Amino acid sequence: MANISLQHLDKIYDNKVQAVFDFNLEVKDGEFIVLVGPSGCGKSTTLRMVAGLEDISAGRLLLDGKDITTAPAKDRDMAMVFQNYALYGHMTVYENMAFSLTLRKEDPNVIHKKVLAAAEILGLTDQLNKKPKQLSGGQRQRVAMGRAIVRNPKVFLFDEPLSNLDAKLRGATRREILLLHKRMHATMLYVTHDQTEALTLADRIVCMSMGRVQQVGTPLELYDTPANLFVASFIGLPPMNFFNVNIANGKAVNQYFSVALTEKERELLAGYEGKEVTLGVRPEDVDEGGDISVCVYSNENLGMNTLVHGRLNNAHAADAAITCKLRGWCDYKAGDTVKVQFVKRHFFDRETTNAIR
Amino acid sequence: MTFNNMEDPKQIRLDRMRYTKNILSSRLVYLAILFDVLYFVSVYESDVGNWYYSALIGISIVYNLVFMLVSFLSSEGVKNYKMGYGWVLGALGIGQIVRIFILPMMAHTALTKRSDPVLKKVLEVPVMEDGQFIFAVVCLVLSALCCLAAGGIALVRSRKLLAYHAALAAVK
Repeated sequence: MANISLQHLDKIYDNKVQAVFDFNLEVKDGEFIVLVGPSGCGKSTTLRMVAGLEDISAGRLLLDGKDITTAPAKDRDMAMVFQNYALYGHMTVYENMAFSLTLRKEDPNVIHKKVLAAAEILGLTDQLNKKPKQLSGGQRQRVAMGRAIVRNPKVFLFDEPLSNLDAKLRGATRREILLLHKRMHATMLYVTHDQTEALTLADRIVCMSMGRVQQVGTPLELYDTPANLFVASFIGLPPMNFFNVNIANGKAVNQYFSVALTEKERELLAGYEGKEVTLGVRPEDVDEGGDISVCVYSNENLGMNTLVHGRLNNAHAADAAITCKLRGWCDYKAGDTVKVQFVKRHFFDRETTNAIR
Repeated sequence: MTFNNMEDPKQIRLDRMRYTKNILSSRLVYLAILFDVLYFVSVYESDVGNWYYSALIGISIVYNLVFMLVSFLSSEGVKNYKMGYGWVLGALGIGQIVRIFILPMMAHTALTKRSDPVLKKVLEVPVMEDGQFIFAVVCLVLSALCCLAAGGIALVRSRKLLAYHAALAAVK
């Protein structure tokens, strides 16, 4: 059992730079939480505070109800997997995995059984006598995970573990981490800047920016109902298109298009009549048909979909750029005009940048 | 043969050998080298006339170098369960015993002239006196025991591991 409670955590460095602001999160036992955000948003700092590698400037950290805010890292019963593996080059895989238990002076026979069990889970049984330099990046990362597994910690912490791997290995190792979580039902905190990792791995995602939590929710919640412009722009690939529009007479209007609002949208935007809001449309929510005119300037076929980059009404202003992910194989040439419609729309307050709900 | 249902401690210990090194043998060899070093730094006495200026001393020095080199290589060999190095260590151990009867014994029985500043006369004394001789012999015996033990353990463990590998291969 490992419930973690992060209550009003702040991190202020000695040079007075504040990296994390009022971080609150309740992590349930066995939950897979992914902290996602751009570089420098404070996600790794938060993880390191949980691990005990950074002091907590303010707030409380509870593990199963016990206050561990000031507890040293070694007493927290958490295992961390780092981006750069942090393996001992002169030791074999077996010795690397057994090392922490050897330091604790556990019975060598017990260590042996734990290492073999972890190696079997991770598919490393045939690599146990090899040195890290003889392994691929993915295998090294699995060894790092194995070292964490043998300790049987209450919480697993992952700090961008797949960042050093190539795309193919990253996908394979990501699936292994997911299987590992399903198999062990362990509480996991995972830091990444890669939204694909976040969306595929997480039970819940914590999206961060500038040291603050922007939204906490399931991957679908973050994708479908982003809390603000930042989350909307960060989650989703290609990113969401944004347009400034005026709400008038049941329509969202700007110089490039005019779209009629649905009944639900009218209710939602009742307080914004005559005001400007930000309209967000995901590229995959743009369909062919309709009356919005897009002048194509590039066409990228992805197989099942085609990414069409263009400009609304052939305008050259920056706010006229649009990316559409159209179904099927399209062969538009630069300069072609395609008529599109927005199937699903998101609205954001211009001042607060929060989603209008 | 699956490893997860291994419950017999002996079986686990045996299986562990597949992934762990033979540190005991290796450390015993280091100890043997240490005793050898103690032996050869203790064996030379400055005030023994010209007794040491012979081919025997030259051979002794060269043998010390060879012993240290071969035993160090053997320590690495036995660490990785290479059976041949067990035999090499056995031979080195026997060599250390044999050495007792060469330089220390000969120096112990040989006499040299040494002036006594108190009695103010020249005395005939053993090149290697009792205390020095005993120390040298003890060092060589301990070095030999370490070599023999390291070699013996290495042979036993290597054989066990070899048999275990063969059993595993048969099961597969």
